[in-house]
Amino acid sequence: MHTNTSMNKKTGRSIDNAFASKFAKSMFLSVSAIVILSFIATRMFTHVDLNLYGYMVGTIVFIGGFFYRFIAWGERPPTKIFIKKGLKLLKRKSTPKTAVNHLAIYDFIKNRGLYRWVQHILIGWGCVLACLVTFPLVFGWMYFTMDDNGHYTIVLMGLNLMTVKADGIIAWLSYNALNIAAIMVTAGVCMALHRRLKNMQARAEQKFIYDFLPLYLLLFISITGLLLTVQNVFLHGWMQPQMSLIHQFSVIVTLIYLPFGKLAHIPFRPVSVFARNYREHYAEQEEKKCKVCGDHFVSVEQSNDVIQVLGVNAIEFNMEDGFNLAELCLPCRRKYRISRFSGFATHQVKVKGANQNAKG
Amino acid sequence: MKKRLYLELENCIGCRSCLAACTQCGGHEERNRNYVYDVNPLVNRQTMPLMCLHCVNPACARSCPAQAIQIHETGAVLSALVEKCIGCQNCTIACPYGIPKFDTEQNLMYKCDLCIDRTKDGIPPMCASVCPSNTLQWLTDEEIEAKQKQFNLDNGKWVTSMPYLEGETNVRVNLPGILQGVTKLF
Ligand code: SF4
Ligand code: SF4
Ligand code: SF4
Repeated sequence: MHTNTSMNKKTGRSIDNAFASKFAKSMFLSVSAIVILSFIATRMFTHVDLNLYGYMVGTIVFIGGFFYRFIAWGERPPTKIFIKKGLKLLKRKSTPKTAVNHLAIYDFIKNRGLYRWVQHILIGWGCVLACLVTFPLVFGWMYFTMDDNGHYTIVLMGLNLMTVKADGIIAWLSYNALNIAAIMVTAGVCMALHRRLKNMQARAEQKFIYDFLPLYLLLFISITGLLLTVQNVFLHGWMQPQMSLIHQFSVIVTLIYLPFGKLAHIPFRPVSVFARNYREHYAEQEEKKCKVCGDHFVSVEQSNDVIQVLGVNAIEFNMEDGFNLAELCLPCRRKYRISRFSGFATHQVKVKGANQNAKG
Repeated sequence: MKKRLYLELENCIGCRSCLAACTQCGGHEERNRNYVYDVNPLVNRQTMPLMCLHCVNPACARSCPAQAIQIHETGAVLSALVEKCIGCQNCTIACPYGIPKFDTEQNLMYKCDLCIDRTKDGIPPMCASVCPSNTLQWLTDEEIEAKQKQFNLDNGKWVTSMPYLEGETNVRVNLPGILQGVTKLF
């Protein structure tokens, strides 16, 4: 059903017809954007570091995988609703706070355990830091030029950002940003591996390909990256070109893997901010009352959206007694099910149900 | 041999061992994911457990925008993947039986996963392992068929998924005694 609507929309807009698919269009636009940005930033391609060529290819392949995966994902009826309404609600006052909470400091992970939170902060922020350094360098959005008086100039998007002393703190931080990132990621990954090997709760549900592979990939990248520095500092660059190739290879493999495995949650996590906005906004609008007990249990909007989504999947819960299951709050829904089993209308008995938490 | 969770609801004596056992399954982080309800609390002591029935076309998974609810090859509908669940709670209001639980602090849904760590290797789920009254059992399809014959349930009163439930389910539910007015010694 939803394919029809998107077809109709397409015929309405001519620009979409110029491309064979959404995929082709997104691909074309992103690659063009990267090329244009690089053109400007590298002062018409005069400052391209061709040693980083492998990363460029890796990134393009990654973008392909990313769009392939996420366009398919975004077409799913429930996802489409959240993305569409989430974008509309982005201007809510609470958005910055929710975004920082969900995407930067991960409060909800802290509530799952301090250990897991520390591990996630280390891995997450280590990766962010590494990407912030690597990709601008790869595409020439940022580079360093050396002046003759022991100063470096950091050039960002073709503009001289600042001049720093070659042995100053900012210079030191810039050279070592990748090392710091690698150490953070290594520490975080080791914590995660330790948990996966020792913690019985984690062990129960894990799979090698899904849970371990991404950790090993990140470890591979970090260790080879750190080895590059070691070779540079202690071994006078011995075997560095070879290691550099191995390191590039590890990054490219990870980039290709990223949209498909566990790491796919990175680009797609912002939707959790959309979901929070959606719940808060529509709960303020109008809440749905349970048909049996009268409790408010969800926003009318979300209830209707879910009914519609289930309808697309040919699932409908209209009962013989003339109502839809979606009109009952969750405890009443459970009691109604009991009543259908027993023939006695449990949900009509005005007694609070027994505690359902085994801890009492 | 593929086995299923099979419920004989009216056997339940309300001991809530199934809830306690559920907390002890690996990956459940010591919280139970099932329910036991009093059928007619002001009149008698009959109780019935309410479990996720592991729908063949699960409303919870279909409504999830994040594809966080995966369906295992055994047919078990798994709990939310921790890194994927975006906390929208669509699943909780989509499920016809109100099964998925939501933790607002952790921004995470959790539900019965049929103790997938056990059942994927043919070990019964925790609840069925401990139930003292044979309400919850772990049986092969042949054994379930034998049950059907044993209770002579050819009168259309056999409640096993269709057409008595909202959709086809991987868990079999049965109520031989109550619906037939038969007192049953098991
Ligand atoms: S363990 Fe069995 S008898 Fe006890 S409450 Fe659960 S289903 Fe009922
Ligand atoms: S009973 Fe509810 S939670 Fe269980 S599979 Fe079906 S829809 Fe999902
Ligand atoms: S609460 Fe989590 S598991 Fe449930 S529908 Fe939303 S994203 Fe999916």
